[in-house]
Amino acid sequence: MIQMISGIGVLLIKEWRLNRSQLANQQFTALNYKQMFETLPKHFRSFDLPVDVRALLLLQKAMDRRLVKTLGDIYVLLRGIIVKDPKMMGPYTRAYYDYFLNIDIQNGETLSDAILRSETFKQWKSDNLDRFGDDIEIDDLINAFLDEVHLTTYDINEVINGREIWDKDRGDLEDEDGENSADEIGQRNLDKMADYSDLSLEELLKRMEEVMKEQKGKHSGGSHWIGTGGISPYGHGGAAKDGIRVGGTGGGKMARKVMNDRRFFPVDRDAILNDNNVDAALASLKGIVEESAHNELDIPVTINQGLKRGGLFFPEMKNITDQKLQVILIVDNGGYSMSPYVRTVQTLFRKMKTRFAHDLETYYFHNTVYDAVYADAYRSKPIPVERILSKDPNYRVFFVGDASMAAYELNRTSMNTYRAMRDHFKKIAWLNPEPKKYWRHTFTINVIKEIIDMFPLSPRGIEEAVREMNR
Amino acid sequence: MAHTNFWDGSNHYLCDRELAQSFHIARTLGMPLLIEGEPGTGKTELPLQYAADQNLELFVYPTGSKSNVEQFVARFDHVKYLRDSQIEILNAQRTEKGLGTTLSTGGRDPEKLGDYVVKGPAANAYSTPNAVLLIDEIDKAPREFPNDLLYALSHRRFVMPESGEVIEISEKEMPAIVITSNREQELPTAFKGRCIYHYINFPEADIMRKIVSKHFPKVSNKIVDTALDVFYHLRRIGLERAPTTRELLNWLKYVKQFSTKEAIEKIERLEGMGTLIKTQTDLEKIQRTILNDPDDFRNRSTSN
Repeated sequence: MIQMISGIGVLLIKEWRLNRSQLANQQFTALNYKQMFETLPKHFRSFDLPVDVRALLLLQKAMDRRLVKTLGDIYVLLRGIIVKDPKMMGPYTRAYYDYFLNIDIQNGETLSDAILRSETFKQWKSDNLDRFGDDIEIDDLINAFLDEVHLTTYDINEVINGREIWDKDRGDLEDEDGENSADEIGQRNLDKMADYSDLSLEELLKRMEEVMKEQKGKHSGGSHWIGTGGISPYGHGGAAKDGIRVGGTGGGKMARKVMNDRRFFPVDRDAILNDNNVDAALASLKGIVEESAHNELDIPVTINQGLKRGGLFFPEMKNITDQKLQVILIVDNGGYSMSPYVRTVQTLFRKMKTRFAHDLETYYFHNTVYDAVYADAYRSKPIPVERILSKDPNYRVFFVGDASMAAYELNRTSMNTYRAMRDHFKKIAWLNPEPKKYWRHTFTINVIKEIIDMFPLSPRGIEEAVREMNR
Repeated sequence: MAHTNFWDGSNHYLCDRELAQSFHIARTLGMPLLIEGEPGTGKTELPLQYAADQNLELFVYPTGSKSNVEQFVARFDHVKYLRDSQIEILNAQRTEKGLGTTLSTGGRDPEKLGDYVVKGPAANAYSTPNAVLLIDEIDKAPREFPNDLLYALSHRRFVMPESGEVIEISEKEMPAIVITSNREQELPTAFKGRCIYHYINFPEADIMRKIVSKHFPKVSNKIVDTALDVFYHLRRIGLERAPTTRELLNWLKYVKQFSTKEAIEKIERLEGMGTLIKTQTDLEKIQRTILNDPDDFRNRSTSN
């Protein structure tokens, strides 16, 4: 079973590693497949992705509706279900590669490097050597690998009805031609792709299990066995090789684009949740929601009551309560001096975002603010400070930063910015992750503290800041 | 689940393959497709073109800061109901006094509450088999709206206010629902959880070339190449509001009326820049950095 590297067969790689001894004895049971999907939510959650059992139910539904035929389909489908923000693309792809392909992409590592050092790829390479020959460039090889991983049903323009093949191709057939297919692949004219979408997931899994038990030798041809050259849906290398792919962008290219794009690994996704401290801080932030009440004519009630009175109309009023919250968060997310605190800040910030979904604006800066802040965590989209200053003065402004820098960095421009912010926004505070007892040793903290009230980035500090603002 | 055939664009519309896949998945699973992305990446185009190409009826709900589910589904027009009830009384009195003229209720009957139900795009889409329902720019809506909407969309049936009429549709004939957002506001997690999500990346130069040729098939390659170089350079220099597809197309519309040579000169001098650059700060920035040193700019833009 070592050679089922592509197609749905790849699903098994992870299990294969975990259960190597069991597999050697060919005692692979259907339970393994079930367990495999059962662990999916937990696995993806460990990449900080919000996945629960609903994702599995949707996956099942999609399989029932014949949306899943290849591993590439699973990638596309789960992406639509799980990814809810472009920032999740990176973590998602990492989780997917780790889970389904056992390729573990380290932080900051390129996709190519991760693939190259993975067992999965080495195995795939040795299985496919005869397909590509020795003189193929390593990049082309990786692309071919990625193309197979990301081959989707949509890439296959001509699909034959797999049901027919399925009925002929029974799992209990003896494996008679196990060793002889290597010569044939060159000539085999593969113009169609098997489509097993009529089958249920269970049928397919059961079928795969049977085939695995039957399989004796190495395969790379024929429509029966798991192999890389056959039209069996468990392996689709043959389909890719023989040019079934029509149109569309190559899977390899797409995956590369995703993995190497720094946009998908922004700083504020790497923190781990479960910080009780931060929950306490969040509770104290509740004080910043303002309620305003006003009365409004209740037209339906007025009319209904009036009609009941026989046409005598009295205005009926109703109370409307508006919850109002306007917060600008300006976060220092750069520099080594901030890095020990970045996690704490991010957790709080993420929770704030969920709670006050519609009313929170976040900007970023590095060390200190001069005449612009940045709209994104990578500080590539500058927003002039004047624009911030033209906002409603009722906004509550929180700076989050350690305010520690070389004295020359805190120049006149920067100090003027802070003064202008303080004068414009009455409700403004600086939250400093640095322990309060060290503040007096840092010159720039002292200077900024004189301009903007500074509080420790702790539940108590935040509570104080909010109380101070509400005065 | 709407029509579940795979659709990837028409002669006039180049649909990104991944977007087409997501759209197909959403229709097959009977879930709304939530499309996010920069302005001008063609989020709204998808349902419009799909409906036009497939000859399906389209219902659009443009979201605004005052949007609520009543407008979206259906509301009861109390004021008209009051007016008509009063007219009934008035008419009765007139007849009693022997006056011939009566006032009209415009065919509405106060006894039939259904006459006063004003149906919104959702109610209409759910009354039409295989319709397309677009909820545009949902990020402009007040924060409760997405969650209210979620509730409305999670059932395949609506009960009309007051009249109690039930609008129901089978899963097979459900509308294809597309929701777009410019990400000006974060949407509630629960809401996103119920949608198939797709983020449109800004198209790269090769895709953009195809988009341009769909709009202006006659413009020479030379003009397009030069314009794209300049366009992507402008997007890279960190403007407040980076130009988008729409702006590029408008700009090309302006320069394409000139001869190729003239047009290229105009592009390089950034003539008609007003179509591309929309804020004063950006304009100043470009004047400072690019127009003062056009040679440098030309070198940089071609080397990229």
